[in-house]
Amino acid sequence: MNAFVKELEDYLIAEQAKFYRLAYSYLYNEDEALDAVQNAICQALEKHSSLRQKELFKSWFKRILLNSCLDIIRQKQRVKPTPAESLEIAGYEDPMPEDELLANRINRLSLEEQTVIKLRFYEDLSLKEISLITETNLSTVKSRLYSALKKLRISLEGVTIE
Amino acid sequence: MNEFKQAKEDYNAIPIPEKLNGVVQAAIQQGKRNSRRRYLKQSFAALAACFAVLFGVLNLSPTAAAVAADIPILNGLFKILTIQDFQQKENGIDYRVSVPEIKAAGPLAQQINAAIQEKVNNHLEKAKQDWADYQEAFLATGGTQAELAEREMDVIVDYEIKSQTDSSVSFVVSLAECWVAANEERYYYNLDLEKNQPITLETLLGENWVQICNESIQRDIAASVDETGFSYFFPPDAGGFTTVDANTSFYIRADGVPVVAFAKYEIAAGAAGIPEFPITVE
Repeated sequence: MNAFVKELEDYLIAEQAKFYRLAYSYLYNEDEALDAVQNAICQALEKHSSLRQKELFKSWFKRILLNSCLDIIRQKQRVKPTPAESLEIAGYEDPMPEDELLANRINRLSLEEQTVIKLRFYEDLSLKEISLITETNLSTVKSRLYSALKKLRISLEGVTIE
Repeated sequence: MNEFKQAKEDYNAIPIPEKLNGVVQAAIQQGKRNSRRRYLKQSFAALAACFAVLFGVLNLSPTAAAVAADIPILNGLFKILTIQDFQQKENGIDYRVSVPEIKAAGPLAQQINAAIQEKVNNHLEKAKQDWADYQEAFLATGGTQAELAEREMDVIVDYEIKSQTDSSVSFVVSLAECWVAANEERYYYNLDLEKNQPITLETLLGENWVQICNESIQRDIAASVDETGFSYFFPPDAGGFTTVDANTSFYIRADGVPVVAFAKYEIAAGAAGIPEFPITVE
């Protein structure tokens, strides 16, 4: 067997719990999170030959995984339009009440901001890695992080950025 | 920072379902299989092209292409040809299409050809529509054109001959759309081209065919339960397997054994893939 495929396989098996948690943190549903992981792995093994820089395969796989989660979210949004009444209420409420759990507040952020926060603080990845995974440049990642922290009303004090 | 610590602890406490490892392993196998199929197809196309050049067929007309992809078949009553064979990318859709056609005298071949062609046409239409809907939803929910341009949908039409004799053939046509989730539909054809009629499970197993199939399938499902009592198969009262009937799909294996095939999700969790049951008599 191709040595790269073996390495990829070993990585996928070893880190499966992490992939599942990340997917679950977006989807909040066991079956959907399993689906996201499954789709991502399938795609990775199917298309690995198109990956040019083999050494970046970890970032590359996380990107596939994130896209696979976002695809499921988009598909759900397409199937279930937001009911009219919930739209009305949203206008009067503080979208981020401070007493709510941080995890819930994070999930209220835009998908781009969520990703930066989750990868930085849950997965302990560097901003450089996050910029590779999301294919956005470093300064965009930084500005997303700052704006997310601001919305979360978390003081920057004590937060390690780099 | 305590809040972050708490959030991270909660995150790390997300329970991992027992199924995860099975799902991961199954996905790895599936992905490798698909990648092999992709690779084989490319090499086959390259090989066919080489032969075409060798034999001086430089103007590769659609007919010549069809002949190059001709599946060698015994000098029997029929032939199976690939009548439509193309790989192309168009508007973000990556098409890989091979449509079979049965060349044989008699009405059955024509009837089946028309049915296959209709399914293929519907499939291509539906795929285009799904893709257009997806693009619209993608942009409407904050995706950008640039992100969209990186995405593509695979539309696959393929067929596989499972077995054949001088006068009969068993093959499966698969129609797939792969993007957010992979959807695959399979249609099984078992034909006796001499008698000009489809081969049924009853033809193969006799009048007790329902009982024979059910017992064989139930044995296999019972054997799939692992030591923790877990099985991918749904219980009969929750959408699981109850009985075969005249519409049950099957193909005939090279050794002549009929193999009943269910659609993904039909009687088992998606992780089980496409459940297939060789029918055996105990």
